[in-house]
Amino acid sequence: MATIELINISKKYKDETIIADLNLTIKDGSFTVLVGPSGCGKSTTLRMIAGLEQITGGEIRIDGKRVNETAPGHRDVAMVFQNYALYPTMTVRGNIEFGLKNRGIAKRERDTLVADIAEIVGLAPLLDRKPQQLSGGQRQRVALARAMVKKPKVFILDEPLSNLDAKLRNQMRTELIQLHKRLGTTFVYVTHDQVEAMSMGDEIVVMNKGLIQQADSPMNLYYDPANLFTAQFIGTPAMNVLDTRDVSGLMLQSESTVSHIGFRPERAQIEAGQQLDGFRISGEVMTRESLGAENIYQIKAASGVFFVKTFLEPLYEAPALSVVVPYEQLYCFGPDGKRLAGVKVQERQLAMAGGV
Amino acid sequence: MKATKSGLLVETGDAALTRGMEGSRGNRISLIRAGRAALRVLNWLCMLLLVLVFALPFGWMISTSLKTMPETMIFPPEWIPKQPVWQNYADAWNTGPFLRYFMNSVIIAIGILICQALTIIPAAYAFARYQFIGSKLLFSVVMVTLMIPAQLIFLPVYLELSALKLLNTHLGLILPFASSAFGIFLLRQGFMQVPEELIEAARLDQAKEWKIIAKLMVPMVKPVLITFALFSFIAHWNDYFWPLVMTTNETARTLPLGIAKIREVEGVATWNTLMAGNLILVAPILVVFFFSQRHIIRAFVYSGVK
Amino acid sequence: MTVWEKLRPYGMVAPSIVIFSMFFIYPIFYMIYLSFYDWNFISPTKTFVGLQNFKDLLLDEDFRKVLSNTTVYTLLTVTLTTVLSLLLALWLNRKGFFHAFVQGAIFSPHIISLVSISLLWSWLMDPEYGLLNWVIGLFGFDKLQWLSHPGTALVSLVIVAVWKGLGYNTLVFIAGLQSIPSDIFEAAALDQSKPWTTFRRIILPMLSPTIFFLVIINMIGSFQVFETIAIMTQGGPVNSTNTLVYYIYENGFRFFKIGYASAAGVILLAIVGALTIIYFRLLSSRVHYR
Repeated sequence: MATIELINISKKYKDETIIADLNLTIKDGSFTVLVGPSGCGKSTTLRMIAGLEQITGGEIRIDGKRVNETAPGHRDVAMVFQNYALYPTMTVRGNIEFGLKNRGIAKRERDTLVADIAEIVGLAPLLDRKPQQLSGGQRQRVALARAMVKKPKVFILDEPLSNLDAKLRNQMRTELIQLHKRLGTTFVYVTHDQVEAMSMGDEIVVMNKGLIQQADSPMNLYYDPANLFTAQFIGTPAMNVLDTRDVSGLMLQSESTVSHIGFRPERAQIEAGQQLDGFRISGEVMTRESLGAENIYQIKAASGVFFVKTFLEPLYEAPALSVVVPYEQLYCFGPDGKRLAGVKVQERQLAMAGGV
Repeated sequence: MKATKSGLLVETGDAALTRGMEGSRGNRISLIRAGRAALRVLNWLCMLLLVLVFALPFGWMISTSLKTMPETMIFPPEWIPKQPVWQNYADAWNTGPFLRYFMNSVIIAIGILICQALTIIPAAYAFARYQFIGSKLLFSVVMVTLMIPAQLIFLPVYLELSALKLLNTHLGLILPFASSAFGIFLLRQGFMQVPEELIEAARLDQAKEWKIIAKLMVPMVKPVLITFALFSFIAHWNDYFWPLVMTTNETARTLPLGIAKIREVEGVATWNTLMAGNLILVAPILVVFFFSQRHIIRAFVYSGVK
Repeated sequence: MTVWEKLRPYGMVAPSIVIFSMFFIYPIFYMIYLSFYDWNFISPTKTFVGLQNFKDLLLDEDFRKVLSNTTVYTLLTVTLTTVLSLLLALWLNRKGFFHAFVQGAIFSPHIISLVSISLLWSWLMDPEYGLLNWVIGLFGFDKLQWLSHPGTALVSLVIVAVWKGLGYNTLVFIAGLQSIPSDIFEAAALDQSKPWTTFRRIILPMLSPTIFFLVIINMIGSFQVFETIAIMTQGGPVNSTNTLVYYIYENGFRFFKIGYASAAGVILLAIVGALTIIYFRLLSSRVHYR
């Protein structure tokens, strides 16, 4: 068990700066997910923690100890790789006990450790197979067993589910959550999939272009995004964002300029007959996706294209729809993309006066 | 086209004409079938002929090796000797110190193989996996060596070995080939194809560098190693030029030299003895080839292509 | 990084680099150096003669004959091998036991010592009792002198070289053919391409890197032909099969004209070097479809 501290970390490849001045504390026993689009530096951060990547500047501490100069094998960190990185020339048993052998653990102890772990992940009958003879899910389990058997302080997982099919991915997701609960070890998990991040992590670090956009709990990320990037990254479909210059009928009172307003597709209500209070916007329906319980509309309004998601409502067939977003569900963003919280005030009357 | 035509005719209802047309169509189809069958037979015959072009010389070699001298001088030739003369093999073997030739061949081919394993694997690994100052320059030395056929520089190498007092020694015949640029090139490709993740996983498993190489990387490139070993062994087992040039007496001479020398010892016309000796040289390789044809062909063909 | 980690790669490449330097790189320079000297190997002193060896070579009737022999031999061997093996590859490019057997059969000479092949073909080409004369006799031809006649000796050597190299070249071509993705042929078939058009417009261009590779490899190989000549003809009759490497060998080891032989070696080096450079130049610029 260990806290991981990244202090003023930077990483450069030749002239290219991947990460500049990153500060992050990963709490002991947490399931922390680093999430972001490809090339955002999440994998690099992960690999720096593991020691597979040299850091250009700053300090990494695991359990309070500076590990900058510690070799990967001695950081007490175990890693599950995206392609599992199982040793193809060794059996399942060989794969699991390779690390133990290198630590000089006696044969008898090794055997019990391997047997125990194989029992836990359900590999016991497959110990003498080669990785090539296993299915994707089984390989995943070997990779997990290989990491677990070392009883590390920190588990590092680099997109471990991306090579599995959808069904198996869901199953492994729950298994990983349960595993984390049982072990209580710090998990650091990298993914580009925000759904995966939201469903697994108790702490989510959203990254973009080498910078941490927001590090928070899943609920806070959804309800209280710190900036435009997080707001649009979390949630499906993404938050609708409109340029305030294109929007009429809204009066925004703020100390600083509001350049964009946003609302979540699931917060917009379709106006069918009844009068609703809020920001009204209407337009031509471009597409309708009916998924059964939920329907998604893509609507083209004068101020831009946006999505609306409804739950357990009939599919509206009208060629044009008018939707209403309650004022408290509108998010405002400044020209730098920062969320402008607290200062937003919507004057209903002025909005009415403006007309639609 | 034909089918629609006759179909139309059926609809006109002229039974006789239809029958006639169908008959001729049947004839045509059977003609085409016959043509195809003939073509297939022709194809097989051509292939048989092709195989003969390559098999007959070897058959002729075996046949001659079992003939008496007068039997070799019959024209038109006879394929089956009346009484196989096994003595020819003993005669060939006794034209020179053949046991020594054989041992020399084994020592040199195996010696080269062992040295190459020791030099090529670390070099290929370093070129594939480490970044170090001057690696490009050093690799260009490998590439230049790859381009230079040994046949081109035998004269200065001879002078060099003579200065080192290595002529007529096993070491002198092994040393120039103790490493192989081709082998390094081939194995480097193999090492480069191993995903980086594997090495990282091993590092996280606290494996030391030598252990990563010995326990993980070398087993990963085993097929390439086998390929190269076959290639190298066959090439040096068969080599005539290098031992010929680098030896002046019998101490380190190899089997191919001994066989070639039968002609000088026995005179030009003793083809039966010569072919018997030839067979001693060829048989082991052909037997190996027969059993591991796939491997050997891949060794030569695919390593040549890339 | 520790000092050991920094030095490790050098330690790992050192044995190979030392061997290459001693037995490949240094000898080249030594040979170039020797080509400017007159030396008979036995005498303790070498005499500097400048470009005299090269002048002598170019004026030497024999050397010109040797150059032309080598060129004719190379051109004939390379052309015949390439064309025949391409045709064979198109014909034999099929999977299955029988085809594998035929491929194995035609490949077999490639792994056999050139000594064996030379001796075997000397016997096959024996003017009196050789099998070859019997075979051509079946077709109504008169007996040929093969290796014993200046007019046919070089061509006879070409036949042996083609026989030996055909299988290897064919299999390389087959490997090349099999690396062409089959959907291209399917697309061509849907476009109703005729076999000849498919060959001209698809197979040939796609195979061009392979063709190129083989032509250069065969050329480099043919330019240094030695074994068959040393065993079958010793350069004769009347110098009709004397080629570069054999010429260097004779001048060096029989006549002890080290400087003179080195100069010839330098010329051969230049030819092979030029071929290699052309190969890599063209390879990087033109023939590339993958």
